Amino acid sequence: MTRALLEVEGVEAGYDDVRVLHACSLEVRAGEFVALVGPNGAGKSTLLKTITGLLPVSAGAIRLDGERIDGLPPYAIAARGVALIPEGRRLFAPLTVRENLELGAFLPRAHGQEEETLRLIFRLFPVLQEKALAPAGVLSGGEQQMLALARGLMARPRLLCLDDPFLGLARLVTNRFCQAIREITAEGMTILAAGQHVRRLLRLAHRAYLLEEGHVVLSGPGTGLLQDERLRRSLIELIPGGVDQPTG
Amino acid sequence: MRYRAWIGISLVAGVLLVLPPLTGFHPYYLYLVSTALLFGTVATSWNLLAYAGQISFGHAAFFGLGGYGAALASLAGLSPWLAIALGGGIGAVGAAGIGLASARLRGAYLALATLAYAEIWRGIAHNWTAVSGGGAGLIGIPPLPTLAWLPLDFTRGRAGSYYLSVAFLLVAIAVFAGVLHSRLGLAFAAVREEEERAGLLGVHPLPWKILAFALSGFFSALAGGLYVHMVRVVEPDLIFSRYFSILPLVMATFGGLHTLLGPAMAALGLYLVSELLLHPYVPAFHQLPYALALIVVVLYLPGGLATLLPSPRPSPQRGEGTQHGAT
Repeated sequence: MTRALLEVEGVEAGYDDVRVLHACSLEVRAGEFVALVGPNGAGKSTLLKTITGLLPVSAGAIRLDGERIDGLPPYAIAARGVALIPEGRRLFAPLTVRENLELGAFLPRAHGQEEETLRLIFRLFPVLQEKALAPAGVLSGGEQQMLALARGLMARPRLLCLDDPFLGLARLVTNRFCQAIREITAEGMTILAAGQHVRRLLRLAHRAYLLEEGHVVLSGPGTGLLQDERLRRSLIELIPGGVDQPTG
Repeated sequence: MRYRAWIGISLVAGVLLVLPPLTGFHPYYLYLVSTALLFGTVATSWNLLAYAGQISFGHAAFFGLGGYGAALASLAGLSPWLAIALGGGIGAVGAAGIGLASARLRGAYLALATLAYAEIWRGIAHNWTAVSGGGAGLIGIPPLPTLAWLPLDFTRGRAGSYYLSVAFLLVAIAVFAGVLHSRLGLAFAAVREEEERAGLLGVHPLPWKILAFALSGFFSALAGGLYVHMVRVVEPDLIFSRYFSILPLVMATFGGLHTLLGPAMAALGLYLVSELLLHPYVPAFHQLPYALALIVVVLYLPGGLATLLPSPRPSPQRGEGTQHGAT
């Protein structure tokens, strides 16, 4: 069995006085696509923010390739190869598409590979090449999400964290996106993705974790988890339209 | 085509900048134009700091530190050229200091902290009489020396300080242009737009912020050092006054925030209109252009004068379109 690239071990974290994660543990092995699903408020985004250093860890440990990264500031964790594509994209609106991408490759670890990564990105999302000189703020929502993902790829991360990657995207754009993510995974990228589009995520995922109230309550292969009773109870009853309807 | 136009404009501007001392300008006018150029330098350096997202209300601190540093060094016998350079270094260190101290502040809080910083230095200059001369300041600062190999009268005519002020402005603009086209500019822009996001991309905000402060402080302090060698006195209420904090801000925003040439153009225009046209005839109203400029920018021209001109690159407009995190 390959050693885990990312190990989250008994992590407790939250915002100020509010504990959101309780003894949360999971692992992501190199080359895997791991999905993180769960109802609203389960702690999915909180976990991603904790891993990337935006929130402090009050107990437990987070290791990247065996090395502790909990307690490090975000820029130091980014420098070790963890990239986060946050919910709502958060691009630099006045900067051009090209500049946003260049900023993605700001880290020394990405130097010298910009051209190669750009070729991959422009193959996945040709529209970004067409609009390279436009300010990011004028792109459509779907294009901005593509740019956010592309900017994350520019850093040549060892682990790419996606927070609700399909939020607010049209069905067609979501399909494009899933295709792109499949291709990226096929190239060997390790991905940890949280989100509300449960069925889509679980179909993409090698393995998945179900998070409820800050605990991991279930884990297993993506398609297997999709059949699980507990998952259905946890999510389907809450969501009238079925598991692949976003609630947020 | 557009490049040709820019080259033409640069040539005309270059000739206009070189000519005044050679055409027998009255020393007083030469002094006024030099001062306008120094304001251009401070406004450009203010703009460089603003490019990194740090809005300063305290550039008088850097200008004054450069002034006092250069004056003290000159009075101690150092060559004025070296003294001005040393003043620049002192200003850079002083600016890095307030950058570090106010690292967690932004917006109005940063503005107040920088405003207070200039006032603190004014207070120190007032009270540390043994070094600063107290409220009376320091007098007898030597003028820039003549250079034997230049056939210009550097002592009494003001040609030397004039050309030096031209050089400072051009270097400040060149450095800002370099910043705009380098990774440094990208890092500054990232820190300006969103520090947290910059951190996630591996851009540690603090060192870049401090570097922006130091660069900005350096050029403002160079201008301050040259200024005291032109007026040959330095006193706290003159050089640490809010005048030197607010005018660069007004000039830079009027000329065009984040644009390369806007702040310098606005500084030259506003200062010369104020001093040449208004001061002799309606002295009481000679500061009116600054107030009008600010009103015009706020009400009608948020991007500044630069938005009226064709520019090689559109100036960045803030906050359009992208969604920000819903957390």
